Amino acid sequence: MSMRKQTPSDFLKQIIGRPVVVKLNSGVDYRGVLACLDGYMNIAIEQTEEYVNGQLKNKYGDAFLRGNNELTILLIGTFQRHRNES
Amino acid sequence: SQPSTNTVEEPLDLIRLSLDERIYVKMRNDRELRGRLHAYDQHLNMILGDVEETVTTVEIDEETYEELYKSTKRNIPMLFVRGDGVVLVAPPLRVG
Repeated sequence: MSMRKQTPSDFLKQIIGRPVVVKLNSGVDYRGVLACLDGYMNIAIEQTEEYVNGQLKNKYGDAFLRGNNELTILLIGTFQRHRNES
Repeated sequence: SQPSTNTVEEPLDLIRLSLDERIYVKMRNDRELRGRLHAYDQHLNMILGDVEETVTTVEIDEETYEELYKSTKRNIPMLFVRGDGVVLVAPPLRVG
């Protein structure tokens, strides 16, 4: 996956179906598989785990996150190749 | 649009599939709701029936700095939820 000259909406299309971490600015993380999202940044995640302060607090089969919450979507797993080099 | 499909094509479909089911809603300000979803709109305004609301507070002991978590619950037969306070919606099939 090329990371050059991508618009944010290209990124959002490419990550559907991938494992992601959705970090809310309130300090809660949600890890799961991104099922879909819409133009308001509403997000549907499958197999969701909720982490508060790094601790697993809850698991949800499906979760809907409202888009207006300040959030960051991280795509996990793409940089592991570089971890053991040099 | 597309009211009769059972697939999740956009996130609001997840909510549509939960109509008439019991759902779990996480709200801002450390509030949680569990109730039956009767109606919703694109703002996530919702009508919930037979609701249990849980409000969680933390008190910090001034001397020991211990965190004391308290939960207060109340039951509400029918509730209008304003969508701007909603953080997360999920079916209440939770493990752990």
